[in-house]
Amino acid sequence: MIRTISRLGAVATLVAGMAAASAAFAPSVLAQGTPVRGGTLSMILNPEPPVLVTGVNSASPVAAVSPRMFEGLATYTPDFKMVPVLATSWEQSADGKTITFKLRPNVKWHDGKPFTSADVQFSFMEILKKVHSRGTATYLHLSAVETPDPLTAVFKLDKPSPYIMRALAGVESPIMPKHIYEGSDPLKNPANVKPIGTGPFKFKEWERGNYIMLERNPDYWDAGKPYLDAIVFRIIPDGGARAVALESGAVQYGTQYVVPLNDVARLGKLPNLNVTTAGYEYNTSVNYLEFNLRKPYLQDRRVRQAIAHTINTDFLVKNVWFGFATKATSPVTDKQKDFHTANVPQYPYDLKKAEALLDEAGYKKGADGIRFKVTIDWSPSGEMFRQTAELLRQGLQRVGIAAEIRNADSPTYLRRVWTDNDFDINIYSASNIADPVIGIQRFYWSKSIQKGVTYSNGSGYNNPEMDKLLEDGQVENDPAKRRKIYEDMQRLVMTDLPNMGLVYIQWFTIHDKKVKNLTTTGLGPMESFADVYMEK
Amino acid sequence: MEGLRDFWRRYRRKTSAVIGLALLVLVLVVALFGPLIVSGDPWDMATMPFLWPGADAAYPLGSDTLGRDILTGIIHGSRVSLLIGFSATVAALGIGVTVGALAGYFRGWIDDVLMRITEIFQTVPTFLLAVVLVAIFKPSMLTIVLAISAVTWPSIARLVRAEFLSLREREFVQSCVVIGMGETRIIFRQILPNCLPPIIVMSSVMVASAILTESGLSFLGLGDPNLMSWGTMIGIGREAMRTAWYMSAIPGVAILITVLALNLVGEGLNDALNPRLKNR
Amino acid sequence: MATDSVPTAAKRGSRQRLLRYLLRRIGQAAITLIAIVVLNFVILHLAPGDAIDVLAGEAGGAGPEYLEQMRRAYGLDQPIYVQMVQYLWNVAQLNFGFSFRNNVSVLELIMSRLPATLLLMLASILISFTAGVLLGVFAARRVNTFADNAVSVLALLCYATPLFWFGLMAIVLFTVKLGWLPGNGMYTIAASFNWFEATLDVLRHLVLPALSLALFHMAVYTRLMRASMLEVYGLDYIRTARAKGLSQRRVAFRHVLPNAILPMVTMLGLQIGALLGGAVLIETVFGWPGLGRLAFDAILQRDHNLLIGILLFGSALVIVANIVTDLVYAWLDPRIEVA
Repeated sequence: MIRTISRLGAVATLVAGMAAASAAFAPSVLAQGTPVRGGTLSMILNPEPPVLVTGVNSASPVAAVSPRMFEGLATYTPDFKMVPVLATSWEQSADGKTITFKLRPNVKWHDGKPFTSADVQFSFMEILKKVHSRGTATYLHLSAVETPDPLTAVFKLDKPSPYIMRALAGVESPIMPKHIYEGSDPLKNPANVKPIGTGPFKFKEWERGNYIMLERNPDYWDAGKPYLDAIVFRIIPDGGARAVALESGAVQYGTQYVVPLNDVARLGKLPNLNVTTAGYEYNTSVNYLEFNLRKPYLQDRRVRQAIAHTINTDFLVKNVWFGFATKATSPVTDKQKDFHTANVPQYPYDLKKAEALLDEAGYKKGADGIRFKVTIDWSPSGEMFRQTAELLRQGLQRVGIAAEIRNADSPTYLRRVWTDNDFDINIYSASNIADPVIGIQRFYWSKSIQKGVTYSNGSGYNNPEMDKLLEDGQVENDPAKRRKIYEDMQRLVMTDLPNMGLVYIQWFTIHDKKVKNLTTTGLGPMESFADVYMEK
Repeated sequence: MEGLRDFWRRYRRKTSAVIGLALLVLVLVVALFGPLIVSGDPWDMATMPFLWPGADAAYPLGSDTLGRDILTGIIHGSRVSLLIGFSATVAALGIGVTVGALAGYFRGWIDDVLMRITEIFQTVPTFLLAVVLVAIFKPSMLTIVLAISAVTWPSIARLVRAEFLSLREREFVQSCVVIGMGETRIIFRQILPNCLPPIIVMSSVMVASAILTESGLSFLGLGDPNLMSWGTMIGIGREAMRTAWYMSAIPGVAILITVLALNLVGEGLNDALNPRLKNR
Repeated sequence: MATDSVPTAAKRGSRQRLLRYLLRRIGQAAITLIAIVVLNFVILHLAPGDAIDVLAGEAGGAGPEYLEQMRRAYGLDQPIYVQMVQYLWNVAQLNFGFSFRNNVSVLELIMSRLPATLLLMLASILISFTAGVLLGVFAARRVNTFADNAVSVLALLCYATPLFWFGLMAIVLFTVKLGWLPGNGMYTIAASFNWFEATLDVLRHLVLPALSLALFHMAVYTRLMRASMLEVYGLDYIRTARAKGLSQRRVAFRHVLPNAILPMVTMLGLQIGALLGGAVLIETVFGWPGLGRLAFDAILQRDHNLLIGILLFGSALVIVANIVTDLVYAWLDPRIEVA
């Protein structure tokens, strides 16, 4: 099964260190201890997902369940090296337009049917390229998937798309069963709530408002795994209750905003619990502040820079994020070491500087001490954003900008910012997802100014220089050159400030100390959990 | 003047009514003059977060999760709560009295249509409807007031209608009709003043329930984000309930006192205005 | 509502009369319900954003083709009146539509959450009614004593407490500080109980939310019962009974109580609607998996079908409760006839 991988272009760095990829070297790159069989792992899930398949809905509660049942062609180490899963090896042509995947033999779907290259073809061409929220962009240049034999899939690309090699994890690009989905509307397929995958766990039952239960797949291709008998996802809508459930040991695992941030320190000190920030390299989120460049005041770069100077990010990190975030130094998270740079203009908390910039821009204080008025919208996905909005309002008031916070539920908020563009300043968080083309470009590319597309270029930022950089980055196959392009891009963002990173969010996992092998790859909580075991 | 003195004599007979009035005056004084004494923006992150009451004399009621002074919040919250309570009641009275008066005075199909509409509003669970309205029309002071009045007017309408139905048969109204007095005049100058006592009594209870409704909405995150209301404060404190329960407890007590005061006053008014019921 | 529809006719009723009464009420109810659907449909469509915005927002970075495809798939690209007529037609066939957000039929979703809410509501009605009647009788028999005043103060306090706040404080005291009762959910998660333990477990979870929800109406019943008792005490036949030398207890429980309890029945009907509203808050505070919480989520997610379904369901519940109340009222008080 050992095959060498061609070291060509960007792929070389992406898969560096994977020269000897093998079946035996499956996801457990960071495995520790001696695993034991048996046990049920109870995990916290919130909110309740609409479906259980990330191929048709990539929302985060879906992503919390789906990867146990659906696998991708590969997974990634914390520093983004590819690890084989359903593909055992891959080879990219010199021009970057052909990628050949050798598939793992003897893999069965949960209903017993064999997994073949036809499933790969169907998943990419019919599901990911057509109905996946990000897949439509990621696989834009994927023109065909050829299947010369049942265990070979050949991707044909119109243009080189180096970022594809960072999007193949099971959570982002799950391989789905052709025989279940063929000829149906994938969005309405009943299997979306009773999935059939290839993963280590099979769907058992879903009691709405209560729990989702997965059971061990005895026919899993990685013999002997998984170690757990079952995984139960408990739907617990209240943060306080989640804390109690973890404390009492009724539930052994929770991720992201699982408990109020002010309660994490207390839980971490309990004898049975452990808090870890490992395993969030693939899914990194940045808390952004976005300016609507269509608004007269905000068109002036100095005004945007002045506003940036009014935010006390240290206060945010300490009192809003309780340490589960770090000060952002650029729009690209520092977890993406291949692209991040801090060598860009910075805007430290400095009210005097802010006032000076505003005066310079010609917005003098009126008789009432007010220069002008703005509104602040915040993403209703977390209390932290409301608190950030409140902090921003107080900072703006100090330099003579009157600010009004607007509360909205999710649909109103999304519509207001990304469809009607009726906002001044927007506070939200977004994932940087694996590669700048997938996770970052959308905020700055003029072609991403698309009404109705959420988390796109909402500021209306349109700079030919930026467009050129981004478009070069899409097709540049040389890693060093690609890095340079994105460093320039970060510098330009921090100069123009259509949006700015406030903090890099540090997700965390709270888990029972008996649960072992939780973090084997850079995907952490979005990994298949084939390696997870529980000490007796 | 004599009437007023007589009214006060009847009102003060009940100790609880006097206590209620005293509490209400206290809340009003805080709302009117509090901000003059304890200056500052209730949203200012003035001190260190999670400061317990009594820990620092400068912040006697402590601070919230972001270090905002709770005392300042309570004082500003009293304005918000009372303002919303009174305006929602006034708005509800406007709709309710109009609908009730028209239905009760004209009877017939007007009554049928208006009462059917009233019934629709009474059938939908009220708080749920208020939540729907506020969530959909962006939470702000105005939408909250409108939503609360939209769900509370039916009870006023029913009350006014019942009064009108009985009053319009009375001799004094009939004689007005006979001398050819205009209908508007009869409604507003003759009948309405006569059904004021029950309306006044009901109003005080409505202000109280509007304050409760507002606190519930704010607690659910549907409050006006630029106004520090008591419900908002409870909602903020809820996040930290295990470690700092005082953040929710203090504004809750403020609501309790205000609503209690309004109810006691309402009861006192009831007894004073309807002497025949004084034994209840 | 009840007193309007049930005029005090002195005639003997017949089964036919009852049937006609029921038919009329049901007819009225149908019109009311249609009006509610139309009203809510309009309100909800005035709202900015739809279910697809939410789905796309949750997914992150969805393209315009994706959005359009989703809208088409769920019929949201149709004009509002087409959607409304379609909806009404479906409801007439007892098809409440499909919840986009939850990917199941609305009816199934409501039914799965209904038992939890019914349990909470029934428990709270039981608590508030029983406690209210007992306290009211207790106070009325000792009118103007210290005990009477104490009950009045208690009732006033309950009447003025925001119920969700009481719930929060109860959690702080009974769950966090004392550890006596669970403060969240409906049963212990991941426990292996036999049926008896399981029942006990649910009951333990039920105590705090049911009590929080009951408090307000307990106060209402207490005050109403006390007033009603005092009024009946003042009636001639009670004076006669007393004059005949019947014991105080016998007079209170055999003669006064049955008559005094009548107005309370009307209140019961009115309580249903308020309880459903209160359930939104209480279920949020206690993580109770019921309809109130479901409704709130449905609003935030623009799950129109689900929300209208719940509103319709809630309204129907209120109407049924009112009809039942009227009937019970008529049955309890022979002077009243349904007409």
